Amino acid sequence: MASLKIDHAKCTECRMCYVVCREIDINAVVVSPTSQHLFEIDERCIYPQCTVCLMYCPAEGSIVETDTGRSMVPPPPEVWTENRRWPRLP
Amino acid sequence: MTISTDKPGAAVAEQLLKQSEADAGATPMDAVLDAACAGRFTDDRCFRLLARLWTLKRMMYYVYGGWAQGINLNEYPPAVAYLFGKQTHDESTQEMQLCDEMLRRGWAPTQKQLFAHPYAQFGTATRTGSYIFCLRALANYPQNIRIAAHNLGPKVIELAWTEKFAKLIPDEAMHALFHSQLAETRSHVLMGRFQVEKFVAKEVDAELARRLCAETRRDYLFFLEETARFVLGLEEENAGEVTVSADID
Repeated sequence: MASLKIDHAKCTECRMCYVVCREIDINAVVVSPTSQHLFEIDERCIYPQCTVCLMYCPAEGSIVETDTGRSMVPPPPEVWTENRRWPRLP
Repeated sequence: MTISTDKPGAAVAEQLLKQSEADAGATPMDAVLDAACAGRFTDDRCFRLLARLWTLKRMMYYVYGGWAQGINLNEYPPAVAYLFGKQTHDESTQEMQLCDEMLRRGWAPTQKQLFAHPYAQFGTATRTGSYIFCLRALANYPQNIRIAAHNLGPKVIELAWTEKFAKLIPDEAMHALFHSQLAETRSHVLMGRFQVEKFVAKEVDAELARRLCAETRRDYLFFLEETARFVLGLEEENAGEVTVSADID
């Protein structure tokens, strides 16, 4: 299954991805236990069912698809649909 | 070019650091670490520890919110406001890390449920509450005084026990967590030293800093005492039993 990761060279660490992911109870964005405290996306991420972090990320290219390396910020048109912006969980 | 090396508060900064380092030599957290090193750190104890530390870090938003309301009224250069913003950001990062670790271990399915867990509840009539209200009351003082009281007081003690945990705690994830927080806490102590050296110039300010630092140190040690008792499942202390020392005249 496709997944997302953060490109630390481009991430501004504004924390919006963390906040929105917490807000919808997925909690897949975490702070790494290193002294740099980089943000990471872990296995709880349900992308492509959810793309909420992409909708709020302000830093172009800072979230990418793990498999393809494709930049997902700003979000490409195919994820810009109502049910994927805010996921409909069972 | 003239280089200014004015440090009117150097002596008081040194004095506060020495007193706090003396208090930091042995704290109630040593008993928690001993239990962890002796293999007596169950999941439940670990959860209790992280939950109490998380509760305190969460409450720092409340404390710093109060402090921030007055910061622009003071006559400090932008460095003071910048360092305060940095410190607020750092506390937030540490709060997030503690929460992440509890969620990662599956002790609560979501952050929202963690907020509601009894281990992570903030109680006003507790030593945690007492410490938080002590910090919040520092909002009545100028920024140089409250930074002296906090960053050269409880922060020094926090750094000392965190260093011990980062060095000795056997659990790999806990080791990584505490080790990763060292740079920030150490930075807060250094920020404190810088600001006190530069901006605590008057004798009345130095005296206030000494008194308030002693109070915050005492209340932080009480918080650690309560935390250690909670983690280790010891009964609440009886009246008069706690013997945390503080040099308040």
